Amino acid sequence: MTGKTKVGFKLSAIAGAAALLLTACGGAGVDAGSTASAASTGAPCGSYTIAMHAWVGYTASAQVLTNVGKSLGCDIKQVKLDEAKTSYDAMESGTVDLIVEDWGGGRWKDWVDRGAVVDLGSDGNVGQIGMYVPKWMAEKYPDITDAANLNKYADLFKTPESKGKGAWLEGPPGYTTIGEKLISANKLNYTAINVGSEQALIDAFTKGTENKTPVIGYWWTPHYLLAKLGLVRVNFPKSTWTDAAKADGTTDYPASDLEKLASKKLATSGDAFSKLVTNWKWTNDDQNAVASDIDGGMTPEAAAQKWIDAHADVVASWTK
Amino acid sequence: MTSSHSAISVRNLWQVFGPNPENIIGSPDALLPRAELRAKTGNTAAVRDVSFDVAPGEVFVVMGLSGSGKSTLVRCLTRLIEPTSGSVVMDGEDVLQANGSRLRELRRTKFSMVFQNFGLLPHRRVIDNIAFALEINGVKKSERHARAQEVVELVGLRGFEQAYPEQLSGGMQQRVGLARALAVDPEVMFLDEPFSALDPLIRRDMQNEVIRLHKELGKTMIFITHDLDEAIKVGDRIGIMRDGAMVQIGTPEEIIANPADEYVADFTRDVPKSHVLTLRTIVRPQADGESVSGVSLDAKTIIRDATDAVVNAGGAVTVTDNGQSIGVITANDILRIVGSGASA
Amino acid sequence: MSSIVEQELIPEAKKTIPRGWIFAGIIVVWAIIGKIMNGKYTLAVNLADQTKMSASINDWANHLGQNRQSNPFFVYFITPVREFISGLVDFIRSVISVPLAHSSIPMLGWLGIFAVIGFIVFITSNFRQSLFAMAMIFSVGALGLWTQSMDSLALVLTAAILSLIIGIPVGIWAGLSDRGLAVVTPILDLAQILPTLVYLAPVALFFLIGPAAATIATMIYTIPISIRLTAFGIRGVPKSPVEASVSMGTTKWQLLRHVQLPMASRTIVLGINQTTLAALSFAVIATLIGAPGLGDPVVQALVLRNVGDGAVAGLAVVLIAIMFDRSTSATLKKQGIYVPPSEKAIRNRRIGIGIFGAITVAAIVVSRQFKWAAFFPESINVSKPIADFADKFTSGAVDHFGFATTGLNTLITETILNPLESLLTGTPWFITSLAIVAISFLLGGARSAIVTTILLLAIVSTGLWQDTMVTFTQTIVATLLTMIIGVILGVWIGRSERADKVLRPFLDAGQVLPAFVYLIPMLGFFGPSRFTGIATGIIYSIPIVVKIVGQGIREVPVNMNEAAISAGSTKWQQITKVQLPAAKNSLLLATNQGLIFVLAVIVIGGFVGSGGLGYLVLVGQSKVEMTGKGLVAGLAILLLGVMIDRIAQYTVRRNSAPKQ
Ligand SMILES: Nc1ncnc2c1ncn2[C@@H]1O[C@H](COP(=O)(O)OP(=O)(O)OP(=O)(O)O)[C@@H](O)[C@H]1O
Ligand SMILES: [Mg+2]
Repeated sequence: MTGKTKVGFKLSAIAGAAALLLTACGGAGVDAGSTASAASTGAPCGSYTIAMHAWVGYTASAQVLTNVGKSLGCDIKQVKLDEAKTSYDAMESGTVDLIVEDWGGGRWKDWVDRGAVVDLGSDGNVGQIGMYVPKWMAEKYPDITDAANLNKYADLFKTPESKGKGAWLEGPPGYTTIGEKLISANKLNYTAINVGSEQALIDAFTKGTENKTPVIGYWWTPHYLLAKLGLVRVNFPKSTWTDAAKADGTTDYPASDLEKLASKKLATSGDAFSKLVTNWKWTNDDQNAVASDIDGGMTPEAAAQKWIDAHADVVASWTK
Repeated sequence: MTSSHSAISVRNLWQVFGPNPENIIGSPDALLPRAELRAKTGNTAAVRDVSFDVAPGEVFVVMGLSGSGKSTLVRCLTRLIEPTSGSVVMDGEDVLQANGSRLRELRRTKFSMVFQNFGLLPHRRVIDNIAFALEINGVKKSERHARAQEVVELVGLRGFEQAYPEQLSGGMQQRVGLARALAVDPEVMFLDEPFSALDPLIRRDMQNEVIRLHKELGKTMIFITHDLDEAIKVGDRIGIMRDGAMVQIGTPEEIIANPADEYVADFTRDVPKSHVLTLRTIVRPQADGESVSGVSLDAKTIIRDATDAVVNAGGAVTVTDNGQSIGVITANDILRIVGSGASA
Repeated sequence: MSSIVEQELIPEAKKTIPRGWIFAGIIVVWAIIGKIMNGKYTLAVNLADQTKMSASINDWANHLGQNRQSNPFFVYFITPVREFISGLVDFIRSVISVPLAHSSIPMLGWLGIFAVIGFIVFITSNFRQSLFAMAMIFSVGALGLWTQSMDSLALVLTAAILSLIIGIPVGIWAGLSDRGLAVVTPILDLAQILPTLVYLAPVALFFLIGPAAATIATMIYTIPISIRLTAFGIRGVPKSPVEASVSMGTTKWQLLRHVQLPMASRTIVLGINQTTLAALSFAVIATLIGAPGLGDPVVQALVLRNVGDGAVAGLAVVLIAIMFDRSTSATLKKQGIYVPPSEKAIRNRRIGIGIFGAITVAAIVVSRQFKWAAFFPESINVSKPIADFADKFTSGAVDHFGFATTGLNTLITETILNPLESLLTGTPWFITSLAIVAISFLLGGARSAIVTTILLLAIVSTGLWQDTMVTFTQTIVATLLTMIIGVILGVWIGRSERADKVLRPFLDAGQVLPAFVYLIPMLGFFGPSRFTGIATGIIYSIPIVVKIVGQGIREVPVNMNEAAISAGSTKWQQITKVQLPAAKNSLLLATNQGLIFVLAVIVIGGFVGSGGLGYLVLVGQSKVEMTGKGLVAGLAILLLGVMIDRIAQYTVRRNSAPKQ
């Protein structure tokens, strides 16, 4: 018993001493040189966290903003986080400050209404979701690109998972998907299969292209893979909806502006990063360039920096 | 012996386990044999209507077969188990009426217990085990260690103060238990089969220890045992329990000489009577024409101790009480008793 | 003894044959009706469609969100709790993982943290464990996951400490008071059944995504563990010292402080050990609601199907788990021994503490002054070879044995999974329900049937009947396979000391890893499919099943075996006729545990194409309009879990061989 109390006492004494030491030292010596670069821009800039969604295009956008933000002396962190609600809630609880690319067509409305999230408008990218097949299929079965003919080919897509119907690879959870509605409204002889992630789709399309195995699945642009594999879109009647929850399934996905969403703190701070985010706007091609570099094996930092260096004028227009 | 002079006076004590125990007492069910009662209502009458008194400084032994309710009885006296009904008066105070804090005070100062299975605290050293009762009573460390040291010497454990219980033999652990009970200097001690786990040698040592403590310190004790030899050795009086009831109370001699029933007789059968009984129990009037030797012995002499004198007397020996002759005995009378004891 | 063998075997054999026939009969009738009425009354609901319940819960959830700033329940309870906990996590993170404002390092650089961990372990256990712990923490750094590990550590510490602060007193209460135990027991039982995935969403609904919600969800998982073990410890204190102390006049408080707590301390420390390990394992899945740390790379590896990175992250989790386990186990050993150290040992230890303490302080100072001591050196990084090895291993396996993995997948899917799924989901719901109730009656008797009926009706009323049956199908298939493999391995380790020695470390390590981590290699082997979830469920639940079965086999009385051997039975007869029947209780218990473990994994199989309720939970997590449906799916999982558990419990109760 007594031994224990003594140890406890010692422990607290040491902890106390350590705390004293830390305060006495003041700032860490490690930081001695590094504060200079932050100071050079003059205007103080806060610290912000970007919500990182799973797809590569998103990483491209976020990384470019991170690199530019850091060069402005801002403290930018990244946190991997699920799309939509998860991130909006995180924004409301103050854990993240920025979503660089939201596909949701207004699903953030409740959060915006109660002031937890601020919609900063389009980031310049235009998103288009759809059902795609590999290039060789479109060449071999030219009429497959018309959704009306899909049933003719359903047998091609059979797998053990699809239970006798065609396997319709659906987008990952959290992505805007209306596959089941499309199937039932168009009376398609397919089963929507949830493969779980973007990577699973990439694998499926890559294998389907390389091995010439039939595959039909959910895909979208902007995305570097589309050009790389030359996926071909299957056309449904032109979209008549914007809110996926209200889609009836007879028509295709709409083209939509991809939005920047910010926390109230970021939107109202008026500091350098806040300005950068407000001004930032780029094209699908810009994003694809960075994304395909990342996919090619560059680190996101390097890929983003490469683009920044090559587009100094564009970047300058954001930071004005 | 009246209750006002008793150290402990127990009256009509009941302990019934099981559902609604109050309903049993006073009902016809209470008279049922234990097994039938259990079958009928699911209750066990562990202690039934027990009454007895213990004089100050007396060692009162409780005996009985396993399951006869001895432990339950003694736990009722200290209220480790709440009795179902009855009264237990110590020094004019009904212990059963004491409230929580008064009961704690009684336990801390007035009586203490020694347990069959020791009940030592394995995480405390011997000295701290012994001082535990004082510690919870708020006695200062130096003071309680000094007192604990005294009892350590008393029970012969010097040199083991800093050991932990598991480092000690069973007999030593039992002595720690005893020392712990002594440390608070209680008026009354309850000892529940304190030596049953010990080997015969340690056991004898411990019995002597208790006798010594009793003589030197004059404690009142209630002592539970299975062992009649032990009972006779340490007890002033013995109470015998059966199925929860107290069937006979008396001195060892009374019980062996006049067992109240078969049960008690069974109990005492194996005891060498000559070691317990006095000449008073076998004295008889002089028969016609019986020759009387010149030897006379006091009636309080234990038979065993009289054997030599009687056998060598060459005739009947006169037995006297306070100098008055009350009858005679012969070698044959003695041999009958010794013979019955030897059959054990 | 041989009479016991006979008593056990003969009536048993007589009983099972007709039961087996009835069982087969039920399946046949069910299948026939299913064929005739195929596709009718199947209560199918599209993914995006709401059920009555999910729609109203959705409204409620939205309403809740909108009133977050005004509702007094939020303003005065939820929000302060959230802020308090996230403040705590943030504080610990600012010490070890997240750079302070205007600094590039947290309060301590890596060398400082390294030394502090070593020092703490030194104080709580011994020098060897301290070295070991430092080696583990260093290895984690060498895996390139220093910051993530520290983040996890921060969350685990916060959750574990808070869990213990709540769990130990409640456990003491349940240990001391029968009423307390009665209050706590059903909650603890439920917590054991509840798959982890289920309460993420509700917690996030109230506490918002972030470290606070992650900590709270972790606590929901770990508090029951500390309550259970504390209560168990208090109740396990031998009666006699307690009684002796009461007879000396202790107050309740003195009794607790001086007798019950010290004597229960071993079990309580075991509780601390288990609580911490469980928190670590949970912290991985808690990343779905914003837990920082090692869950990130795990989920990332899962999403990117990157087996190598997954292996590295999983390894880091295991290393930290081993570190926690070893240092608390050493403390545990110390607790058990009451023999005092010698004077010299005490002096040496004091000197040791002094020196170690001084070194620690120096390390802290250095870690704030020099770059090499502040940031874990990038040059020390072994993650790449490990990741490459794991990648090569799986891709090699897939390349060379792809036919086998694909074949196995297809085989199981087409011969068992699809037929069973279409039986459960394609038959009218009331027929399927009837069949399940009938089987439940057969297994567990009337009470089991009644409880099953109620739970099935509740499941129907959630509107997610189809998805529940999909999940149920996979759970059944995975449990069947688990039991086949588990019994074989269990018998093996039960009969052979050597087998036990060989397998035991794998079983122990297998129990440390969070289920999530297993998904990654299985995904590599089997691709996104229901079988991947099933395979993961099998891998995850096999250790516990094997251990229970092995234990049961080992506990079969020796003389029973000897009687059988002397009667001239072959090894096979000995196993099937004596050991397995005699270990029946263990087999039933193992099945029960297997089912619960499997269910927990099947629902996270939603990540890899398992569909069913787990997928709905995940979708609900990320889509606003699906919140309600996700929550309802969670409820359905809960109902399904309780149903499975009840049937299993009643079966165990009814069929248990009486204890010898
Ligand atoms: N807590 C209890 N609940 C129910 N019945 C009890 C309880 N404690 C004791 N009994 C019963 O009361 C009876 C007397 O038990 P007790 O322990 O007093 O016997 P004992 O005379 O001390 O026996 P032993 O010599 O074996 O110690 C037994 O039949 C026992 O089963
Ligand atoms: Mg007893």
